[in-house]
Amino acid sequence: MHIVVCVKAVPASTEVKMDPVTNTIVRDGGASVVNPFDATALEVALSLAEERRRAGEPCRVSVLSMGIPATEALLRDCLARGADGALLLSDRAFAGADTLATTYALSCGIAHLAKQWGEPDLVLCGKMAVDGDTAQIGPELAATLGATCATDVREVLTCGAGAIAVRAAVDGGTAALELPLPAVLTLAREAAQLRMPSIAGVRAAAEMPVEVLGAAAVGADAARTGLAGSPTQVVRSFVPESQRESVAVDGTPAEQALRLVEIIEGVA
Amino acid sequence: MARDNAQALIHTFDAEFEDYARDESRSRGWAESISFPTDEDEVRAVLRALAAEGVPVTVQGARTGLAAGAVPAGGHIMNLSRMNRYLGLRKDDEGRFYLRVQPGVVLLDLRKHLSARDIPASGWDAASRAALDAFAQAPVQIFPTDPTEASACLGGMAACNASGARSYRYGAMRGHVSGLRLALADGDVLALRRGEARACGRALTLTTEGGRIIATELPGYRMPACKSASGYYVADDMDAIDLIIGSDGTLGVITELELELMPAPAVTWGVSCFLAEERQALDATCALRERLSCASAIEYFDHAALEILRAQRASGAAFASLVEPPEGAGCCLFVELECASEDEAMAELSLVGEVLAAVGGSERDTWVARTDTDREALTFFRHAVPESVNMLIDERRRTDSAITKLGSDMAVPNERLYEVVALYRATLAEAGLEAAAWGHIGDNHLHVNVLPHDAADYAAGKELFARWAREVAAMGGAVSAEHGVGKLKRDFLKAMYGEGALCEMARVKRAFDPAGMFGRGNLFDESLLEGGA
Repeated sequence: MHIVVCVKAVPASTEVKMDPVTNTIVRDGGASVVNPFDATALEVALSLAEERRRAGEPCRVSVLSMGIPATEALLRDCLARGADGALLLSDRAFAGADTLATTYALSCGIAHLAKQWGEPDLVLCGKMAVDGDTAQIGPELAATLGATCATDVREVLTCGAGAIAVRAAVDGGTAALELPLPAVLTLAREAAQLRMPSIAGVRAAAEMPVEVLGAAAVGADAARTGLAGSPTQVVRSFVPESQRESVAVDGTPAEQALRLVEIIEGVA
Repeated sequence: MARDNAQALIHTFDAEFEDYARDESRSRGWAESISFPTDEDEVRAVLRALAAEGVPVTVQGARTGLAAGAVPAGGHIMNLSRMNRYLGLRKDDEGRFYLRVQPGVVLLDLRKHLSARDIPASGWDAASRAALDAFAQAPVQIFPTDPTEASACLGGMAACNASGARSYRYGAMRGHVSGLRLALADGDVLALRRGEARACGRALTLTTEGGRIIATELPGYRMPACKSASGYYVADDMDAIDLIIGSDGTLGVITELELELMPAPAVTWGVSCFLAEERQALDATCALRERLSCASAIEYFDHAALEILRAQRASGAAFASLVEPPEGAGCCLFVELECASEDEAMAELSLVGEVLAAVGGSERDTWVARTDTDREALTFFRHAVPESVNMLIDERRRTDSAITKLGSDMAVPNERLYEVVALYRATLAEAGLEAAAWGHIGDNHLHVNVLPHDAADYAAGKELFARWAREVAAMGGAVSAEHGVGKLKRDFLKAMYGEGALCEMARVKRAFDPAGMFGRGNLFDESLLEGGA
């Protein structure tokens, strides 16, 4: 079995910097982390792989990302936690991609991995990224790959040779779904908690390669990548500013109550 | 300040202040009045008014102490939680920053402002503002003392010489305080800055701002060769400031502290190592102490502690998101590495792996936390242990109200680690008591918590602690390594130093506080305070 996990580097801080010209998120600034939902996807993949191996079936977990060169460190961390290989798509040509162009780039990456390790049986993504919040990559990938798809998956129930059963969010609750493979799943946080790496894992990952490829190397059509390949036009992005002020009220309960009345009357 | 103003600050201790009669030790006291001063002038005014009436004072901060030092024994409670302002900053010629704070500043708040490099500077003078500009440009600074309870306030931490996990590398609070102001019972103030007032041998003479001379012969005992928060710190030619830190609120009211900051380490990794046997953890601790150069903490959790965590995790609620200890783990060692670079951290990590292999463990049975998320998960894991034990005790209290927390806080010198652990295990087994142990094994400082099922267990546990205190003292250890003596460990202090030393400590107290106004019941029995200075 071949499982591909798509991971995205997102800002570690909730204070996101925007490019005033392109209205896209500036990604070459502060610290980044693996998108927390993608971390869940990685754990689901690692657990499934362990299960398959226990059943005597070979299984490979590849992690795939599109991002700036510094993303390599995050992919190496995924290797330390148990992934078997990592591919980073990094090229100026990918910059400014919307979800369509990102999906296209990732599908090129998946095609590259497939040449070496076989077509993936499963592609796992987080249900959304905490910076962009679109939740579109998973379903778009499924459409591109011609795979079945379940979104907002809360639990993997069983995984057999030709199908996977999951419990996923639907309107008004959750439902058990069985999907023929290949399938794309997008994972909710409650599906799993990403394991920590061991000393052995960290040491092994330090010696493992992270393959870094540009657009041409994965055969991507330049017209379909980055800003050029993005039909989405971001007119304006902004961080909402809080207009609310907090006031601490000190003193005895009686004094505090009086002050509270004054404040309420002032507002009225 | 006029006497009337002072009276306005003093409230009758009625039902609405009931919470202030107790602290985290779960002991309860009583008081007649309470005040919440907001600055040193108010502290002095209240003290003068109380002195005139002969009313004793118990000083309180955030009431997170575990030795009942802040629990009143009658008289007045002076609660400093509203003295929580940042007063100023300076930078020395070597680029070190020193931050002046009021004693009620909470550690968590301090950490938040330091990591954001944004300290509230209202009312600061030009020199402090200039230092703040430099601070904003400098690498992120930290205050390294890290008791588990981050809601503790700095004044309380100084009063009990708090330490915590990172004391393995940085020592206790004492080493990180460069100045303080102490309001005395008559409203006078003693201002101390490190390096400026030293004892001559064991003779100490100080002059207050009001011109009073405080002269005393310091006790003759030697401090243990390990972490200690047991009674007054004394040494030949000691710095006077070190006497005040760890004095358990018995000498005066700390109205201001100057904290020495340090740059945050470039790389911090936490490593949890799971082992089958306690003996392996002891062997690994000794080897890690020898081989690691960047360890800031070496902590331990025994099998019972891990099992309690497992049970709490399974019960859901607050602990459902705890990382689950691996199947078959008998105990856990936690090592924190603070390094200058990732390369250095990798080299240290490899050494941890080698040590584990040498004691029969495996580098596969480890968790390495290198991201904020993982570090937070490990911190949650470590802090969940005492929390879970408290919940377990609360549960048992429902059937027997005589039961309360029984946790030890003793430390011994390095060469006595095996001996003290053998003592704990043998005597617990002999007494048939359930217990869980965790804590700062790098400093040979375990918190052994007896988990009583009933009043008989509780009484047996108390007896056992008294025995441990005697035996730990005989090993050259400390009966309280970080919580302070307060009111709960006075007998242990006597076991450690003997009655004569307590009389010597009482003599020091009388020199500072002739009428015995402060911290009644802390450190020693009041009967020792009778007699002249």
